[in-house]
Amino acid sequence: MNRLFVGALALAILRGGTSINAQSLDDLNIQIHGYATQGFLYSTQNNFFTTNSSNGSPAWTEAVVNLTSQPDPKLRVGVQARYFMLGNYGNAITLDWAMADYKFKEKFGVRFGKVKSPTGLWNELQDIDPSYIWSLLPQGVYPIGSRNSLLSHYGGVAYGTYNLGQSLGKLDLRAFGGERVLGTNDGFLLPQKEAGMILPNGMNGVTFGGSLRWRTPLDGLMLGASDNSQLAMVNPVMFTIPAGPIAGTYTGTQRLSPFNVLYYFGKYEKDKVMVAGEYSRLPIHLLLTYPLPVGLVPIKNDQHTWYGMASYKVTGKLTVGVYDTQLVTHSAPLGPARYSKDWVISGRYDFSQFIYAKAEQHFMDGTAADYDADMNPDGIKPTSKLTILKIGVSF
Amino acid sequence: MKKQLSIFLLLTAASIFAVHAQAQVIVIANPSVKATEISKNDLRDVFTGNATSLPDGSRVVPILLKTGTAHEEFLQAYIGKNDSAYRAGWRSLVFSGQASMPKSLDGDAAVVEFVAHNASAIGYIGKASPHEGVKILTVK
Repeated sequence: MNRLFVGALALAILRGGTSINAQSLDDLNIQIHGYATQGFLYSTQNNFFTTNSSNGSPAWTEAVVNLTSQPDPKLRVGVQARYFMLGNYGNAITLDWAMADYKFKEKFGVRFGKVKSPTGLWNELQDIDPSYIWSLLPQGVYPIGSRNSLLSHYGGVAYGTYNLGQSLGKLDLRAFGGERVLGTNDGFLLPQKEAGMILPNGMNGVTFGGSLRWRTPLDGLMLGASDNSQLAMVNPVMFTIPAGPIAGTYTGTQRLSPFNVLYYFGKYEKDKVMVAGEYSRLPIHLLLTYPLPVGLVPIKNDQHTWYGMASYKVTGKLTVGVYDTQLVTHSAPLGPARYSKDWVISGRYDFSQFIYAKAEQHFMDGTAADYDADMNPDGIKPTSKLTILKIGVSF
Repeated sequence: MKKQLSIFLLLTAASIFAVHAQAQVIVIANPSVKATEISKNDLRDVFTGNATSLPDGSRVVPILLKTGTAHEEFLQAYIGKNDSAYRAGWRSLVFSGQASMPKSLDGDAAVVEFVAHNASAIGYIGKASPHEGVKILTVK
């Protein structure tokens, strides 16, 4: 299925390419943009995600380059590649998106290929570090370890904006569908991998959903909701028991039951102030099916996450912000593993329109998110502080 | 009472400054653009990438100034953001695959030249700058 979409995209790009002889490069409006960031992490108590942050770690590097062309006023084609490394995770170049976009009119346009999934308030922007003040978005909703999988899907998006009149504002509607692919190294699969369960093909399945954003008559206020339905993901899984009476390697099937992720969000942005909030719920039922004597292994997870955030532009170059986020895993037993709370203070300084620096302090409580068991062999402590420094360039 | 008077004077000065800022920038368009006026909201939508056409259906392509007084005044009067925040907004659209970055030109004369010769182009310049070959859109 992925090949089908990439093939279709290649055709679209070739179609654009055939007109190069007839049009100048300027007419094609070819643009190249990019950005790169380098982060430094220092934490107390626990190592954050797959880094050695308790010793101070510079192992957070990202570099992005994108190429777009607009051979026709209604048609855009483009591709964006990314190098991402966070501790032991990533260290590879991946395709963010590669798509063709045809906008028939304001009320209707389509894009297809590998496209960003329009879910939640920040999903389409969560990887675009230059576009916001935060170094890390609330991890309960936008986990950095699963960013590549959740960010985009193979398929399409239909979009349109509807003017409701001066007294009612505007509605931005989007519908999407296609295939969601979680690579073998996705952060969601990391705990399973570390427990000896290997998914040789990762996970994949049909996904679809929609998003509604109401730009209200109150200048700067947007309210929205989105829903992402994921059909069952059924993939082969291997499990090794190293010792004991049932030692051996077992091959079975992992079935992730269909689920919906709901998001409700709002944002107010005017002049120097930005205030935003979001709530989402992620219910997951996994069923691992192995030959006997292992048999069926059901795993249930039901995460509820919310956050509230605010930022203020102190000067043209300096922005400060704060957010509070809480994740509660309703299916987990009482204790720190049931929740993750994070108070965050952040600042950003733009040296120019091309270079910026960020500083961020996290006060984390609970262990339901953000940590990797293998990186914390002495056990994960219930509280931790994380300091992030980051510098970025964009063009 | 003294405090209230100070606040009143401050607000008066601010409003005079705002009117002054708006008065120093004009919005220009290629003669192919049907509209003769544009609302402040529609202007902001076009220049922030939230719209690519006007309510009458005519397609428009925004053209920016790279820097300068007219650019700063335009952003202050119609967009409500400073230059770094404004360009960060465009970067969000570019890197998420939702738009291409608009052309940024070096000065008023370059903007007038480009807008005059490119159908659907819409830009802004200082009020005192020559603007032959383009039409002026009244901002409602």
